[in-house]
Amino acid sequence: MARLELRLRVLQGAALVVLTLLVGRAAQVQLLQGRRWAAEAQAQRTERIILPARRGALLTRDATAIAVTQETYHVGVAPNELRHRAGDAVRIARTLRVSERDVADRLRRRYAYFRGPFSAVTVEPLRRLRGVHLEPVPHRFYPAPSFARAVVGRVDTDGLGASGLEKVLDSLLAGRAGSAVVVKDRAGREYTSPARVIAEPVPGHDVTLTLDGELQEIAQRALDDAIQRLDAEGGDVVMLDPRTGEVLALASDQRNGRGRPSAVTEVFEPGSTAKIFAAAALLVHERVRSTERVSGEEGRYAIAGRGPIEDEHPLPSLSLADAIRVSSNIAMVKFGARLAPPEHYTMLRDFGFGAPTGIEFPAESPGRLRPPREWSGVSAASLAMGYEFAVTPLQLAAAYAALANDGVLLRPTLIREIRDPDGVLVYRHRPEPVRRVVPARVALRLREMLEGAVSGGTGSEAALSTFRLAAKTGTSRRVVDGRYAPGAYTASFAALFPADDPQLVLVVKLDNPRRGSYFAAQTAAPATRAMLEQALAARAVALDRARLSGTAVSLEDFVERADAGVMPYVVPWPYVPDSAQPGPRRAVPNVSGRTLREAILTLHRRGFRVNLKGWGVADYTWPAAGDSARAGSTVTLFAKPRP
Amino acid sequence: MALKGRHWVAIWLVAFLAAAGAIIARQTAGYRMARALADNRVTRANLEGQRVELERRLRAAKSRDVLMPIARRLGLRQPSDSEIVLLPAPPDDRR
Repeated sequence: MARLELRLRVLQGAALVVLTLLVGRAAQVQLLQGRRWAAEAQAQRTERIILPARRGALLTRDATAIAVTQETYHVGVAPNELRHRAGDAVRIARTLRVSERDVADRLRRRYAYFRGPFSAVTVEPLRRLRGVHLEPVPHRFYPAPSFARAVVGRVDTDGLGASGLEKVLDSLLAGRAGSAVVVKDRAGREYTSPARVIAEPVPGHDVTLTLDGELQEIAQRALDDAIQRLDAEGGDVVMLDPRTGEVLALASDQRNGRGRPSAVTEVFEPGSTAKIFAAAALLVHERVRSTERVSGEEGRYAIAGRGPIEDEHPLPSLSLADAIRVSSNIAMVKFGARLAPPEHYTMLRDFGFGAPTGIEFPAESPGRLRPPREWSGVSAASLAMGYEFAVTPLQLAAAYAALANDGVLLRPTLIREIRDPDGVLVYRHRPEPVRRVVPARVALRLREMLEGAVSGGTGSEAALSTFRLAAKTGTSRRVVDGRYAPGAYTASFAALFPADDPQLVLVVKLDNPRRGSYFAAQTAAPATRAMLEQALAARAVALDRARLSGTAVSLEDFVERADAGVMPYVVPWPYVPDSAQPGPRRAVPNVSGRTLREAILTLHRRGFRVNLKGWGVADYTWPAAGDSARAGSTVTLFAKPRP
Repeated sequence: MALKGRHWVAIWLVAFLAAAGAIIARQTAGYRMARALADNRVTRANLEGQRVELERRLRAAKSRDVLMPIARRLGLRQPSDSEIVLLPAPPDDRR
């Protein structure tokens, strides 16, 4: 009995010890290590995932998408989960446009992964297929990949801005990623639940650029054509709205296809396109009178310390306006010598040379402009001809825009407006004046000089017959390995369109044109004309056609003087004689009483050009209806107010 | 009438079942909404993808690279500036 009792006590003691150990272990697991084990259990059952934010879109000024983010997918396949392995493999291959053999090979592994990325439309047939796992991944998409590529830039593999505007605007576009907890089953498959979202992702802002879709395409195409036709190494085109500083088109291209944004990041010596800035300094400091003339030296002029200076089109004597018109190096050197170095330097500096323009673009070049203390004995002469300093095409466009803008330099910009994810406007560009460079009267005088360069000077190849243009050519030698390379030139052309109320500043630069002429007058000027004609013919470019037709001012005048006769809306200038291209003679149709649109269309269809005078409905024509006129000649259509 | 112990047990049981039923109903509704939300997200992604693809094709079709050769084949050409006549807008009181 006593033995039995002993055994019972031993058993009781053992049970107590075991229980104590169990309780102790439980206390250790629950109380001391509870948090760790709970976290581990949670991690096995759930997973915290990042919810990527939608990157904001980049749009043109007319709201056409340049860069958008869309949801795409990586596709994973668990072969052991497929119901009909052979059939499913074929379906996957056809859907993803991968070879069936490749898919079959991959399905031999434990898990097959197709990186893609594949669009939502592409993977739709696979969505309900058992064993196929779709991993959503945001993908940056460029609907027109070549559109302003150098300016827009690209994102890196992590979706962050790597170059161009994608890089500069990254903090605005990126948004803020969210996070969520997903529940996993034993196989590791995830189940999303709205209750488990920890932080919703915040999409990025949408940025509307100042670029005009049509003008950008015109610029890119014209630049490509010019580079091919002239066998040039590369080139740039900049179009700017002088009233706002908004960049309407920015195209850069190189023959090697690198697509560097050279319009902003690379410099060149502007040559004769910069003569107008020396003229500005001369007028501001009143160092030259309009009647004053200097000798043309028969086209060859020697100055100490420098090789002889030559003129392509020598004149016996030249005024400052003549010097700009025929792009005389000799006259500009002579006039430029009247400027003190600080005066000349300050003027160039005031036009923005030697400093970044401040445009929203990474690695913008400030250009090169040495202060007077670093000048040599020939620097003043070189600067007057546009040498010894270097500019970007954008700087040149901004400086010409100051001339168009009555002497006020504006900061150029690529950003028109920014909207938050809810569409609320958070920023809208307003013109940002940098400084007044020259008085308005001087700017007007300089524009007149530039107009002379087109109507009867080196820029005549760019002349339009209906609109007046103010522009300047520039053909400068190219520096290669620190020296001027023989036979290598940069052709540039800067234009204000139209001359009397500029809406567009256009700079064209061509690097080393090797086929045909290398002069800007025969290379960059015709390219400018082609671009302007295309812009005029385009349906929706950022040109104010009402202002172009002279409506804003003239209509009031017309209404007031309705009885006095007619008012010209479109005046061909410079005058192109009708006899330039004689065509067959045709009868002028009777368009009396028709609407202006119908009347003009009828005359155009008969092969006539039309000069419209007045407003309302068609009244009569000159030559009169029934008279014969040569096809291609101009018929003046007189309109009368509607009855 | 005073409630007896088993009545209280029954009341508590009913209350428990009601609360549990409400929780289950809520979770079921939440699950359904999550499924619907996921489906809507997929639909939206699909539509977005289609929109972007159509936009790309539209841009390509409208580009000058495509249109110019077609226009040339049709005997059309770029008008010179003298062939473009800008019609002035009528004054406000004549519209």
